Amino acid sequence: MTRLTNRAPAIRLLTMLAPTLLASGALTALSSVSAQGATSVRIGFFPNLTHAPALIAVEKGYYTAQIKGVKVETKDFVSGTTLSEAFAAGAIDIGLIGPGPAINAAAKGMPIQIIAGASEAGAVVIARKGVSIATYKDLAGKKVGVPSLGNTQDISLRAILSASGLKSQADGGTVTISPVAPADVAAAFLSKQLDAVIVPEPWGAILEAQGNKVVGDEKTVWRGGKYPSAVVIVNTKFAQANPEIVKGFLRAHLQAINLISKSPLAAQTSISSELYKLTNQKVDPRVLQLALKRTRITSSVDPEAMKEYGALSVAAGYTRELPDFTTLIDLSVIKGLGGK
Amino acid sequence: MTTATSLTPRRTWSRTLLWQFLGLLLIVGVWWLVTDGLKIWPKYVFPGPKAVWTEFSYGLWGSGPQDGKLLSSVGNSLRRVALGYLFGVGIGGLVGLFMSLWRPLRDTVGSYLQGLQSVPSIAFVPFAILFLGLNEKAVMFVVVLEAFIPVALAVSGAVLNVPPAWRTAGRTLGASNAALVMRVLLPAALPNIVTGLRTAWSFAWRALIGAELLTSNPGLGRLLEVGRNTSNVALVIATIIIVGVVGGLFDLIIRAWEGHIRRDYGLEVAA
Repeated sequence: MTRLTNRAPAIRLLTMLAPTLLASGALTALSSVSAQGATSVRIGFFPNLTHAPALIAVEKGYYTAQIKGVKVETKDFVSGTTLSEAFAAGAIDIGLIGPGPAINAAAKGMPIQIIAGASEAGAVVIARKGVSIATYKDLAGKKVGVPSLGNTQDISLRAILSASGLKSQADGGTVTISPVAPADVAAAFLSKQLDAVIVPEPWGAILEAQGNKVVGDEKTVWRGGKYPSAVVIVNTKFAQANPEIVKGFLRAHLQAINLISKSPLAAQTSISSELYKLTNQKVDPRVLQLALKRTRITSSVDPEAMKEYGALSVAAGYTRELPDFTTLIDLSVIKGLGGK
Repeated sequence: MTTATSLTPRRTWSRTLLWQFLGLLLIVGVWWLVTDGLKIWPKYVFPGPKAVWTEFSYGLWGSGPQDGKLLSSVGNSLRRVALGYLFGVGIGGLVGLFMSLWRPLRDTVGSYLQGLQSVPSIAFVPFAILFLGLNEKAVMFVVVLEAFIPVALAVSGAVLNVPPAWRTAGRTLGASNAALVMRVLLPAALPNIVTGLRTAWSFAWRALIGAELLTSNPGLGRLLEVGRNTSNVALVIATIIIVGVVGGLFDLIIRAWEGHIRRDYGLEVAA
């Protein structure tokens, strides 16, 4: 009698677990389906200037023109975190993303590969109107915003701080680093919750136009401005199964980059209208011009800069293991198409 | 007879502990089986117990710039919830008492609080951030609110449930208004009030983690956010476990106190 009653809970637990086990089997079946013979390609990017090639390619219809035979779906994300989550969940095939999330994702074993660059530099440090910050050293004791903890600009800021002999409050220093979405910085400045901020363009130029001051331009942020701020990543399984789709994407990518260098005015109009469509914000043409001047749109990726970036991320404590950069970065296809 | 009564509680206690241990073993075993064992999910989606344990060890005694912060994160979160909880319980107790004593207040504030209680705490966070800023005050606001509502409702309900005969008896024995509240109504309502305190704790703890996630003050919420930002699912799972353990531990403490009171009041027989 006692044995019977004692066994009951164990049986009950097993029956409770059974649906979970079944569901997990179904999930794996689903994720393996998407790998081969794709009927659609899902492209992710952010409404930032560092993602300008995607903005132009979407607005001008380059993706649909160059990727033939499959449906092109584009989706905009607010940060590398959400885009990287979508990659992990298998909801995005190709995406533009900052080097930080790309390195972290690869280090955690996500099947991704960097197949092209999108932009370099394009991040600035801005001080709030009325706060006296002349150099990076003056950030001592100030509240500084970053788009999100552990992202590309956060890592850059930590490199700036350590070069200026400063530390974040969490590491026993005086600088308070808090994550604030670039779109919310203007409000945070108004209520004096932030003293300074490091943001990707066009947010820097927008804040500057509102009377806030540039403390450090894109060149002083890191490596004289020669650092990647967005790269193109692809799901390796998807790329192996659909090389033509990836090629089509890269052709559209190059076409957009060429438009920026050949007819910058047309490119600006295109970027401006796509930004308006996605964020409902009208960016002043002069602001956009300034922002573009501080961002270098390019299809090249400097592997050395990526490695140094990985080292910075390790130094900041956001990354413990680094991926193998030689397999992570594969620029053979884009170079074959005439890219850099 | 005496040996039987003294043995039974200890035996059930040790048996519970044994079941707890076996249950835990089974959960970790199944977890290991579906992750590291059968590799049903890739490790960047659902890591195994070993990876999560690695995060625990980094968080407890790692030496990297972001390591060794687990205890201080727990401490920061606990400090915030303790302050907010005490504050919320204080105001909630007072408001609840007034609600029980004065009907118009009960009909207005009381019913509004019922409605407010059904709003998930996370829904208040954006408002709190706009109103108080992206700082600790915003977190505290939500915690205080979430602790305040259940306590106010519990105190008001518990005092109203005190049998009218006891009030009459108190009055007959010469109790003034203050003495009636302090020496008759509140002591009589204590068991139900403590249940409210327990609900308030779990509400406050949940509200805290949600608010910390959005405002990113140093604490467990921030740990979750960093894990998310750096694709470190193991850190996310480790933090979820900590949140559960800490929340459960405090719930256990309040529950033990509640049980003690209920036995003292003769509402429960000693197990």
